[in-house]
Amino acid sequence: MNSRKLLFTVATAFALLAAACGGTPSTNNTGNETGTLTVWLMNGSAPQSVIDGVNADFKAKHPNVTVNVEIQQWSDVTTKLDTAFAGSTPPDVMELGNTLVAKYAAAGALQDISSKKSSFQNSGTWLQSLTDSCTYQQKLYCVPYYAGSRAIIYRTDLFAGAGVQVPTSMDDLMTVGQKLMAKYGSDSRFSALYFPGKYWYAAAPFVWDFGGDIATQSGSKWQGAINSAQSQQGLTEVKNLVSALSRADKTGDEAKQDQTFAQGHVAMMIANGWEVGVITDPKSGDPSLLPKLGAFPIPSHNPGQTAPVFLGGSDLGISAKSQHQALAQEWVGLLGGDKFQTQMVTVGGVIPNSTTLTSKSSGLPAIFAAAAKTSRFTPNSPNWASVESANVLQDMLVSIFTGKSTIPAASSTAADKITQILNG
Amino acid sequence: MGVAGDARGRASSGLHLEAGPWRQALARRALPYALIAPALIVIVAVLGYPLVNLVWISTQKYGFRELIQHQGVFIGLQNFATILTDPQFLYVIRTSLIFTAVNVGLSMFLATLIALLLERVSRPVRILLSAGLVFVWATPVIPAVNLWQWMFDYEFGVVNWLLTRFGAGDYIHHNWFENPVQGFAVITIIVVWGAIPFLALTLYAGLTQVPRELVEAAEIDGARPWQVFRNVTLPIVRPLFIILFSLSTIWDFGVFNQVWVLLNQRPNKDYFLIAVYSFQESFRVSKYGLGAASAVVMVAILAVVSIFYIRETIRLTNEELR
Repeated sequence: MNSRKLLFTVATAFALLAAACGGTPSTNNTGNETGTLTVWLMNGSAPQSVIDGVNADFKAKHPNVTVNVEIQQWSDVTTKLDTAFAGSTPPDVMELGNTLVAKYAAAGALQDISSKKSSFQNSGTWLQSLTDSCTYQQKLYCVPYYAGSRAIIYRTDLFAGAGVQVPTSMDDLMTVGQKLMAKYGSDSRFSALYFPGKYWYAAAPFVWDFGGDIATQSGSKWQGAINSAQSQQGLTEVKNLVSALSRADKTGDEAKQDQTFAQGHVAMMIANGWEVGVITDPKSGDPSLLPKLGAFPIPSHNPGQTAPVFLGGSDLGISAKSQHQALAQEWVGLLGGDKFQTQMVTVGGVIPNSTTLTSKSSGLPAIFAAAAKTSRFTPNSPNWASVESANVLQDMLVSIFTGKSTIPAASSTAADKITQILNG
Repeated sequence: MGVAGDARGRASSGLHLEAGPWRQALARRALPYALIAPALIVIVAVLGYPLVNLVWISTQKYGFRELIQHQGVFIGLQNFATILTDPQFLYVIRTSLIFTAVNVGLSMFLATLIALLLERVSRPVRILLSAGLVFVWATPVIPAVNLWQWMFDYEFGVVNWLLTRFGAGDYIHHNWFENPVQGFAVITIIVVWGAIPFLALTLYAGLTQVPRELVEAAEIDGARPWQVFRNVTLPIVRPLFIILFSLSTIWDFGVFNQVWVLLNQRPNKDYFLIAVYSFQESFRVSKYGLGAASAVVMVAILAVVSIFYIRETIRLTNEELR
């Protein structure tokens, strides 16, 4: 190899290296960018067809950019995100549970996109509670992705068999459940209301319905309120329902509840709208159950009303360290825009990020969307994620359900811990 | 002095035929250090650096914000003050100590029995038994714990089914993890199960070193089997026992995988052993300073145990050289 050839080779290698590292600026000159956009989405959030659609549209505009969509699991995502953000190359775009955003925004991990807000489709009609979860100190750190709320999924055939109707109050829920237990309870695996012990987001509506809360804020100080008289009333209600109607694992979590429901020994279960799809999945569930499924909002203790539910959901954030800000914003804009949000509703059965699209839901998903009308949110503090990770409320429920601790004692311990963590 | 000394003498005289006496002396002193330097550098890099860093982080306020900025705030011993006055941490320490004592005791006891058994059974049975032990030893921890988890499952577990089937009572929907004593019993079974192969095979290897004629002499003098074991076998394998005992203590005090996987990565606080506590504080609650402080406490406790191990190793090495 002569020296000229060598020089040429080295130069080419450097050029390739620079391209591979995404050294080419990615602003404005549409279509010429190269590089890789890494996206983390959560397990079960967008159907594969929607992800493929977004990538196809994106690829049409930026043929030389590779998009890597990696699916993460909820159970260990905070640990993975912490590690990723601590490193120098976190993913460019990530789906964040709405209760987690404050932590990452406060730590400076997410890009402030306030100035770009108007460039996102429907940004004027985004769901208020998701927009709030994206907002930290008046700045916007993410784009609302979708919302979800819980209602009770039930088996219409079992209800008919026991001669009961959809309950209209909490007392009624108990009566209906007792009748179901009387009719089917000889099956030792039957639960009228399947309720695993760590399922905090299913217990929260009962606390809120009696006027209780997780924590209250005065000034900059938080105070755990899960031990207030009203909260304890709600917890008592849950405890009574669970001990009379549930044979689920009192120390277990809700991760396997759809598979359990699909096996046919459960009449009612508190679940997200998209879980209908998991229950009737041909591989992991039982498709023949679909015509036998119904849903109704968790009833309030005031007859005829419904209990407030936790409005869960996800947002799409862009990491502050991303080298591809413009590309990342464009990808997020596609998934958060009209076309794919509509698909998220019709295929995925979730509540879309904009009020202009909610009317697209029909069937069971519409019931879940309606249940979200009276919704509540967790304390919006950067430290809330730690309350979740420390399993404070889950541990409290487990000790209440297993009888290891009384409601006043367990809730006071939890309230102290919440106060301590939130004031961090 | 044995072989090592001769080799050293030869090496230094060969290397410096024409050097002056002081240079010779220097080289003789430097050579051993030069020889262990590569190993030392590796040890410092993979053990020393993380350890120093751990101690350093334990003296800082180091949360998620600090993690992203790679910059903590020095607060002296405040993290230690916080955990050492936290009733939960004291509970964790107590649980870990009891857990370690029970697990080390059980694994050592059962491993000794199996080692003695291996010595007495016929060759084919011994091969079969050793193969079984090696298979257990070769099973990766995570899949193994998952299998145990299935067996003890609340809804579908074979253990509940078997117990009910064979008339031990109604174990349908029996929750093994509702009562921490039962839960720890299950964890103990898994830990001991995983620890026995190494301990039993090592002890068996040790037992084969006990001279046959000593045992026979004792038996002729009328010693009973227990007396033979206590007065002949045990003194000979005692150093090995101490080493295995120290290693077991170190492993069982640091148990993490079994608890973490068995309880679906969300163990409730009854099940916090010290390693679980440290992980939870660091990687779940993002209080890396507190997590590091509890890890330092753990290292300190283990250092005490290690002293026995190191002392015994040094004693053994000296005996061999003598």
